[in-house]
Amino acid sequence: MWSLTRPDAPPDSPVLVVDDRVTGASHEVLDVGVRLGMPRREAEALAPFATVLIRDVGDEARRFEVVAQIIEDLVPRVEVVAPGLVYVPVDGALKYYGGEEALVEQLGQTLLCRELRPTGTKIDTERNGWEALIGIADGPFAARWAAAAAQPGQPKVVTDTISFLSGLDLSTLRESLGGEEIIDTFRWLGVVTLGDVARLPRDALATRFGTQGVQAHRLATGEDHIVNPREIPPDLAVESSYEDPLQHLDAVAFAGRVLADRLLKGLRMAGVAPHRVTITAEPVVGPARERVWRSADPFTERSLNDRVWWQLRAWVEDGGVRGGITRLRIEPDDLSGAGRQLGLLQDESSRVETERALVRAQALLGPERVLQGQPQGGRMPQERVAWSRWSETETAGQRDPEAPWPGATPGPSPALVPQRLQPLEVEWEDGLPVRMRLGTRWEPVLTWSGPWRLSGRWWVGEKDADRYQLVTSVGAFLCVVADGKAFLAGVYD
Amino acid sequence: MGARGLDGTRAPLLELETREEALLQLQPGRITELIGDPGTGLTRLGLSLLSPHSRLAPVVVLDVRGWISPEAAWEAGVETPNLIVVRCEERHLWPKVAAALLEGVRALYAEVPPGVRDHDLRRLGALARARRAAVAMRPLERRLPTGVAHLRLRGIGVTWEGADRGHGRLTRRRLMIEATGRGVAGVVRRFEVDDEGTDTVRLVSDVVVDQAGRSAG
Repeated sequence: MWSLTRPDAPPDSPVLVVDDRVTGASHEVLDVGVRLGMPRREAEALAPFATVLIRDVGDEARRFEVVAQIIEDLVPRVEVVAPGLVYVPVDGALKYYGGEEALVEQLGQTLLCRELRPTGTKIDTERNGWEALIGIADGPFAARWAAAAAQPGQPKVVTDTISFLSGLDLSTLRESLGGEEIIDTFRWLGVVTLGDVARLPRDALATRFGTQGVQAHRLATGEDHIVNPREIPPDLAVESSYEDPLQHLDAVAFAGRVLADRLLKGLRMAGVAPHRVTITAEPVVGPARERVWRSADPFTERSLNDRVWWQLRAWVEDGGVRGGITRLRIEPDDLSGAGRQLGLLQDESSRVETERALVRAQALLGPERVLQGQPQGGRMPQERVAWSRWSETETAGQRDPEAPWPGATPGPSPALVPQRLQPLEVEWEDGLPVRMRLGTRWEPVLTWSGPWRLSGRWWVGEKDADRYQLVTSVGAFLCVVADGKAFLAGVYD
Repeated sequence: MGARGLDGTRAPLLELETREEALLQLQPGRITELIGDPGTGLTRLGLSLLSPHSRLAPVVVLDVRGWISPEAAWEAGVETPNLIVVRCEERHLWPKVAAALLEGVRALYAEVPPGVRDHDLRRLGALARARRAAVAMRPLERRLPTGVAHLRLRGIGVTWEGADRGHGRLTRRRLMIEATGRGVAGVVRRFEVDDEGTDTVRLVSDVVVDQAGRSAG
């Protein structure tokens, strides 16, 4: 939590900052029961007197840059998750400051008493600094909720992370799991704390809830700090140099987006996805600026573009890159599952790893050979799958699969369906199938069902046909007969 | 689709009641080889083996002929959003693609095109073990080299019900399977699998048990 004055807030009026949930509020609003994270409508009902402002994440990031910089002066490698929330690896700093208590006290005091820099950012002028909520624990998830349990000036240092986690309410999982449904189900089952979740067998959670269940279990058992780093090829970082320094925001934005796109394209070809990136900007005057951004999920084009834009805007607007930017660099800093729960079980492949494998398959074969299907309506097996390239927007079936489809081929679907009908030799006696040729041998037809008439679209030249299910001693086949010729439409393999 | 005891909503994954049920389940790090002529029902059986895994993560079908139908996989219980089909007709690319997939996927059903070299298949076997990928392989021509597959399931017969000289329609298939290899500890086991066309493949019976001496690999 951090305090921020919105320049567009009316003076002497309580303010509520929202997106779809409450992200900020004045003290007056908090006093009537509004809480951060509360749904917007609920908050508006509780505090109808407050002026509602829509959250501007970019602006918050710009203002938060000052705070991040102060923290980084004390402890290197600050990882910004979102404006207002940073993770700081403290292992190295503990030795320097002489322990956790000393470190958090130093951090809190520095933030509280820091002189305002000439950045134009409005801050709480009475204290001339920021009141920070600081928590220390094993792993980002526990530290984040330790900070939430802290009070201004009273940091929360967790010595027994497992015990601390076990007492947390299930709602703490909401941010990490990104869904309410699993939390509601847990509550309905009488599971109300993370300790309850930790006591459940992980494989049962995996079976019942899939990835989300395993993720919840790993968070509840304090395993989110386990790092399994992968080797990062050094040439995956991208950078650009500019003869004419970038000074204007629009030019910076464009350069940042191009670079971010280039980075993700290169990573995709390598079959990896970043969870952290280091953004570096070299100004004409002064030292290079650098900031690490972290995400629980691998960065996508949009999320990375946002972070790069927020960061560059913060540097440009607060005068941190004097004379303009001459070089930009984005380095993927963590391609591992660190900080998020990728594995369904610890030793098994994950969804993200599957995606990486499929990206490699796409690189080998081309994107049009890695496919996903969606059900759609149709009378023949060939028509009942709407194909789309994997990783692209799924093609919804153009024909409703739930519609009746009179004349559809009955029975189970053939497991093998040629994309086009294949010529087939079938012998008939008195209009009844007797033998069919399979490879080099003739197989007697033991029994059959059909024919079912398939009326073609005569207006585009299609002819009527009949469908048969032919059963031989080696299996069953779907056969289409049109114009006296037989074709193979499917194998019930 | 899955064998009895594999219903993901009721029983923990990989917790088996009997040895026979384990034969119809893909084990992490092990390759199950499916042998039989087209029509013997092994494609559908292979797809059904992916079903329990698809409830947890994406599963992949490596399709050599471009004929495998996702609709059959959906009927066999594979989760629609978690089924990805990779089509690879080029024999020289197949080992690379299979290796790339084994690096990351949890469960794979792969058709093996004719002409893939034995040492490539052995390396893929080692990779599957190292990555603990659950793999079903369906050689389209000859069998996998010795030592690659942990379990061989051979389709030795299939009977259909429902069709009667022009009446009815195909409804139920009974597939007779012979299991050999290390997965059955040197004992040749034969059993029937009952497939009603939906997510209900059932192990019917252990019809014959032979003592075959040492396993063929």
